[in-house]
Amino acid sequence: MTERGPGQAPDDSALYVFAVCDAPDPAAFGGLPGVAAGQPLGRLRFGALTAIVQTVRAADFTDEVWQARMADRDELERYARAHHDVVSAAAACCPTVPLPLATLYHGEDRARQALLDETERFRTALERTAGHSEWGVKVYTADLPAPDPSPSPPRAEAPAAGSRPAPGAGLAYLERKRGVQARRERRHEDALRLAETVETAFGALSAAGRRLRLHAPELVGKGHTQVLNATYLVPDHRGAELQVLARTLRNTTGARIDVSGPWVPYSFVGEV
Amino acid sequence: MTDLDLGREAYPIPGPPNSNLADILERVLDKGIVIAGDIKIDLLDIELLTIRLRLFVASVDTAKKAGIDWWETDPALSSRAARNSLLEENRELRERLEALESKTEETSDH
Repeated sequence: MTERGPGQAPDDSALYVFAVCDAPDPAAFGGLPGVAAGQPLGRLRFGALTAIVQTVRAADFTDEVWQARMADRDELERYARAHHDVVSAAAACCPTVPLPLATLYHGEDRARQALLDETERFRTALERTAGHSEWGVKVYTADLPAPDPSPSPPRAEAPAAGSRPAPGAGLAYLERKRGVQARRERRHEDALRLAETVETAFGALSAAGRRLRLHAPELVGKGHTQVLNATYLVPDHRGAELQVLARTLRNTTGARIDVSGPWVPYSFVGEV
Repeated sequence: MTDLDLGREAYPIPGPPNSNLADILERVLDKGIVIAGDIKIDLLDIELLTIRLRLFVASVDTAKKAGIDWWETDPALSSRAARNSLLEENRELRERLEALESKTEETSDH
């Protein structure tokens, strides 16, 4: 880890900023590759705060290159995790405000000036998240098994192709269709109610909460449907309480409730 | 040092070790403090990323409009095959009804 002196990066390089910290320990970043192999992570002081930075090849961080990168799941994952690892290492040693992926400057002077201009926002975010962590809460309902193909009560036999329909076939069809619709509405309502119950309960022990996008069914996997993807800013001393609440809600609702954390409070520094 | 009192004594170990890509992306992509960089990189189009990588469902409404059977998870209810079989049954019943009606008309013509 290097302390950055004044100076301008060469023309073919750019400065990548991961996070803004209050007095980071340089030893915390040893061995982390960052987003550019072979380049050490550095600290860039601006006022009383410090940014965690890395010199990268500008050609690797053009918009064009990033658009291609974002179309490649493996590449995107590599960069997202590299960024996240540096942010997490910073937060493990000192109060940290994460920056989103790919914040880049033409050099240290440019970066320092831009960061200085935002000092008030960084301070507000640091104060807001001090002593708090982010916890993700996901709720899933189990999918119902496929309906029984031989329904009860017994209904008119489906007619063989070409024969006359048995009496009552149309009525049975309508009733079946109504039943499907009613079941669907009931499950939709149950899912919304479950999501609200869980959201209210976790909200009560959090300083803030927000809903994230629901994950795609491919990501959730077969057998379950995600009905809530939320994240909460929780005081560190209530972390254990959060786990107890998750267990209680699992028992009372029967739903699958996944808790992830503690996260660096990415989701709660953006509004300042 | 700084004049901030940030309660420096305890830091949790951040970032669950086995977090999946979506968990990380939904945090590093458009969260954090956004400050203007020198190099303009358009990262924020999560909708586009969703279409490309199928990581997220933008919202329940969008999912429904996009034809994702979000709540209708019964395979027998949600699959195209099941819908087609209902349509097929409906069509057969209509044909039979027409056939019956034309027969009735023939009978009353006599």
